[in-house]
Amino acid sequence: MSDAGVVRLLLFRVGRLVCAAEAERVREILPRLDPTRIPGAPPVVAGVVNVRGTLVTVVEGWRALRQPEPSADGEGGGTTVLLEVGGGKKVLGFTVDEVVDLVSVGGETLERRQALPGIDPTLVRAVGRRADQLFVVLDTDALLTPILSS
Amino acid sequence: MDLSQYAELFLAESREHLSACNQLLLEWERSPANLAPVGGLFRAVHTVKGMAATMGYARVTDVAHRAENLLDLLRRGGRPATDELLQLLFRARDALEQAVELSVVGREDEIDVAEVVADLDGAAAQLGPHPLAPSPPSGEGERGGEVPPVGAGRLVQVTLRAEAPLKGGRALLVIKKAQAIGPVHAVTPSESAFEADEFDGRFSFRIGGTAGTAEIERGVRAAGDVEHVTVGGEERRPGTGAGAAPSAAPETKSRHIRVDLGRLDRLMDLIGELVTVRGRLNELAASARDPAIDDVAIQVSRLSRELQDEIIQARMTPVWQVFDRFPRLVRDLARELGKQVAFRVEGKEIELDRAILDELGDPLLHLLRNAVDHGIESPAERRRRGKQPEGEIVLAAVRERASVAISVRDDGRGIDRQKVLERARRDGVVDPHAEALTDDQLLRVLARPGFSTAEAVTSVSGRGVGIDVAVTRIRVLGGSIEIRSVEGKGTTFVMRLPVTLAIVRALIAGVGAERYALPLTYVAETVEFGVQATTIVEGREAIVLRDRVVPLVHLRRLLGVSGDAPTRCPIIVLEMGERTSGVVVDGMLGQQEIVVKGFDAPQGTLPVFSGATIMGDGVPALILDAGGLL
Repeated sequence: MSDAGVVRLLLFRVGRLVCAAEAERVREILPRLDPTRIPGAPPVVAGVVNVRGTLVTVVEGWRALRQPEPSADGEGGGTTVLLEVGGGKKVLGFTVDEVVDLVSVGGETLERRQALPGIDPTLVRAVGRRADQLFVVLDTDALLTPILSS
Repeated sequence: MDLSQYAELFLAESREHLSACNQLLLEWERSPANLAPVGGLFRAVHTVKGMAATMGYARVTDVAHRAENLLDLLRRGGRPATDELLQLLFRARDALEQAVELSVVGREDEIDVAEVVADLDGAAAQLGPHPLAPSPPSGEGERGGEVPPVGAGRLVQVTLRAEAPLKGGRALLVIKKAQAIGPVHAVTPSESAFEADEFDGRFSFRIGGTAGTAEIERGVRAAGDVEHVTVGGEERRPGTGAGAAPSAAPETKSRHIRVDLGRLDRLMDLIGELVTVRGRLNELAASARDPAIDDVAIQVSRLSRELQDEIIQARMTPVWQVFDRFPRLVRDLARELGKQVAFRVEGKEIELDRAILDELGDPLLHLLRNAVDHGIESPAERRRRGKQPEGEIVLAAVRERASVAISVRDDGRGIDRQKVLERARRDGVVDPHAEALTDDQLLRVLARPGFSTAEAVTSVSGRGVGIDVAVTRIRVLGGSIEIRSVEGKGTTFVMRLPVTLAIVRALIAGVGAERYALPLTYVAETVEFGVQATTIVEGREAIVLRDRVVPLVHLRRLLGVSGDAPTRCPIIVLEMGERTSGVVVDGMLGQQEIVVKGFDAPQGTLPVFSGATIMGDGVPALILDAGGLL
């Protein structure tokens, strides 16, 4: 993401965190799908789902970001965001509590990586501010690639 | 004029001819006095030259021309092959191959052919006078004596030689040559139709300008591969078109066409979707209890099954398409290592899905390299052991039930189990007190990345790579690999592969609330657990089935499904070559065709899945890999 250019970001909430992913990495936004468990996979992996005939491995957002488990009676049951990983070679699902907004922000309104309490700093690409609320632009590759085996 | 659309076709056809050259050269090498292969070599090189000239690949054309020249002399001279000559021809073939591959991607400049060209010319000069054909006449020449017609132009009807390759490209070249003579129009059929499969090499066009009949004809013929040209007089109305060529060469139309692999893959994807939807339709029909809907569902099932069979059949490819490059490879390796090897290929016509076959090249390459390098002894050593100085390597394909077994067998020294055992103990792969290695353990040790017992790392193998590559690749394809090795007698690797990957019949097994698919390829039978008495054999629970010990795998435990298993449940008996295993599941949910799909397996995923499929209700189910359960 360049410092000067305008970046489009998808904002979503996971537990108490408001996070953002670059919109150009977002393939699709789907309601939460019932995953099929993958035996042996770590708990952070919800399983595999069928997206119109293609199998997509889904990562449980609240576990990946160490947030409390959303209550089962939550509104709508959550959302799955399909994210491109590794330069678009793979697509993974990432569950979030809700999608908040799609915003365009100038690079200057984003601050370079900044320590925020409650989130692993290596997963933070930048921190932004929207209506007095801080949000974390996630390094989705750093977050998701280690979950996949080589 | 754009010939780039022909590049792929050129590449495919050139590869075939060059592969044939390898076989012919090897044949000639085996019996140097038999000149039959030389004619074939000449024709193959000639064809490549013709195609390359059409495409404008100068380096390929140049090397092919010199090689053809030498081959022509050899063909006429009736001389037996000498080793020197064969080496030169092998080199020329390799240079041609390289030039072809690079030319197609526009990197023709990178290859230097001067040396091989000089050597070919030198060899030809030693054999006799140069019968080099004069270079073809250029399109320009002195003008004919007739009064040139004007107006719509003269009708030129062209028939290309029936055996001419790349007819479309050739026809374009004819047009190009004609354009150098005068303005060309009314090309029939249109230039875009030249690339169609049905294009039979007959076409016509009108040419304006002032050139005479002889000049036009010479210009057209300069394009090469032209069987027949008629240059008509001035006509105002278009002629009857392409079909007007008088009694063209007898039609020997091939019943085969080339289909782009991507298109076959797409067809497979589509039929896969259809099979998934068919599953859903059948479930709906079953619950609707409406005879009319039942009827439609049954018809759709039948039709889609037939379609599926046809598509799978269309993807089947004989194994020789991959095997054919190995004789040359084994020969070169054997020469390099100073060994004598008779290499035999069996079951060339056995067919496999194209996608599987494409993945087999590398594993086979590794196994064959190992066989030549580590398996076969030097001629002196073989004599000492009372063997023929010439070793034997056999690459064989055999059809077995729903799978194909491909084996690489050598009659060499076999694997030194003691040496492997020592290494295995030291590396902690086996129990430090283990006395011997079974074939299975042997394979497991050999397949460890980086494992090698070779005293010296040779340029060929011995870096430990090889077996692990082969094992991994075969497993990914849903197959298995086995080893049999007897010291002093030789080693055999057997790979078993499903005939097709994309759609397979599978048992659907239930474990707790989960469903798993188990392809029928390796399912021998099912028996009931709780009725059969179980015993403990070598620390594993097993059943005895007709005097055979079948170790059990409790899927519930293996996959970490909570809860208790029912007291009576089915055991699915898997059989893969010599190995067998009984998979205990909670229940059988039926049998159905499944579409195998890949998924991104996360870290830690149990290594017992070969993919996943989408069930009739749209929910994914993982596919168990028989190889991983055995």
